[in-house]
Amino acid sequence: MAKQHKTPLLDELEKGPWPSFVTDLKQQAETKPECWDILGQLELSYKDRITHWKHGGIVGVFGYGGGIVGRYSDVPDQFPGVEHFHTLRVAQPSGMYYSTENLRALMDLWEKYGSGVTNIHGSTGDMIFLGTRTENLEPLFWDLTHNLGQDLGGSGSNLRTPSCCLGVSRCEWSCYDTQEVCHSLTMHYQDEIHRPAFPYKFKFKFSGCPNDCVAAIARSDFAVIGTWKDKIRIDQAAVKKYIDNDPAYPSCGGAHKGRDWGKFDIRKEVLNLCPTRCMWMEGDELKIDDAECNRCMHCINVMPRALRPGVEKGASICIGAKAPILDGAQFGTLIIPFVQVTKDNDFQDLIDVIEKVWDWWMEVGKNRERVGETMQRVGLPTFLSVMEIEPMPQHIQEPRSNPYVFWKEEEVPGGWERDIVEFRKRHAA
Amino acid sequence: MALSTEELKKAIIEKAKKSPKPQLYIKDFYECDPDAKPRDIKKVANALVTEGELMFWSSGSTTMYARPDRIQNEEK
Repeated sequence: MAKQHKTPLLDELEKGPWPSFVTDLKQQAETKPECWDILGQLELSYKDRITHWKHGGIVGVFGYGGGIVGRYSDVPDQFPGVEHFHTLRVAQPSGMYYSTENLRALMDLWEKYGSGVTNIHGSTGDMIFLGTRTENLEPLFWDLTHNLGQDLGGSGSNLRTPSCCLGVSRCEWSCYDTQEVCHSLTMHYQDEIHRPAFPYKFKFKFSGCPNDCVAAIARSDFAVIGTWKDKIRIDQAAVKKYIDNDPAYPSCGGAHKGRDWGKFDIRKEVLNLCPTRCMWMEGDELKIDDAECNRCMHCINVMPRALRPGVEKGASICIGAKAPILDGAQFGTLIIPFVQVTKDNDFQDLIDVIEKVWDWWMEVGKNRERVGETMQRVGLPTFLSVMEIEPMPQHIQEPRSNPYVFWKEEEVPGGWERDIVEFRKRHAA
Repeated sequence: MALSTEELKKAIIEKAKKSPKPQLYIKDFYECDPDAKPRDIKKVANALVTEGELMFWSSGSTTMYARPDRIQNEEK
């Protein structure tokens, strides 16, 4: 039975005006005594300057190769409450919509089988349950799947739980139905989510517009980010209302209005902040050179009643983002500038791209190498040729920055063979 | 696939038994049938887990395979 430990170092973290996980764990320990041992072991780690968690393990539920991460204490005699302290990942609903009834049921389940400690949501998107024993895993999984109709998420070398923004359910800027895609592909790829398939983790994230509220471009191997092909829609009358500081037209939709930011200045707050400088005023009319727009969304965010995304909507696919374990963090690289995202063909256009990436990466990727690292290793031109995509201007950040796409011999008339005598007649050595 | 599913299962089990490393990545099994697609190898390896011939070991970020008698078991 876990008991309270002296934690003078951790107690320091309770001082100050901010919330403290130490206070939360002490509160939780009143009903779940194993939480005293979390604090005790962490205090020991602070003293020893080393973690006392052992890494990984064989735990799981039958038929699944993911969703549970084994955690064991390396000092179980001192802290028996955390001898086993496994993590469970519960797949989140698309857009993270929960009913309060469902949230209560999930918390009741976790109070019954685990420590009651949660992390909502983890960076993959799942609801994370922190701390249970091996013998509780199967009964918990049974109740989760049979009574609540929910599932575990992905972990290990699996496809991780796909995640998406609120999409068209609440956001007028969403260029495709992110929740529909996220749910459909989650169901389509059940085997890849629940059983390991790859050299390392692989993540999908779906954002409805370039605001990218799920940070797909920074955190997912395969980011599908809504965009439009045609022109930003402009309501010139509404633009004038913003310029006239009409109170019904607050900039940024009224966000941050708790402070006086002064009179709205379209030149200072919109035109001069456009990264490609593709906007200007002609008299009272706002003009946009849409060919130069890079979809930063700033103007639309500032004047939401005047500007909207175009009508020819779809998505861009960026591949290869990752966090900084090797070689530093990297954003996804734009591979497909525009793709239609439609349920009419069950998202087959997306599936075709996904599986082409997987087939190549499973073969060429090294162990524990994210697809973005494999792309970096072989180079963008090679990756494009694997994907059977012609290099295009959108693949290049800026002229003379990364334009090295080499000709192949078969693409050059006459190949590499040259008549050196003929050549030297024109170019003396 | 040059090998039948049963032949591939045998080759994977053999590899898991004899490999100097007790725990193997999925890519380590590719050499069991160089003509097979990685996805087919993955399906067969995962089927062997269901049959009890192999077990998963996961660090949380990566998953490995091993024979039950060779796996690193934290609960032993």
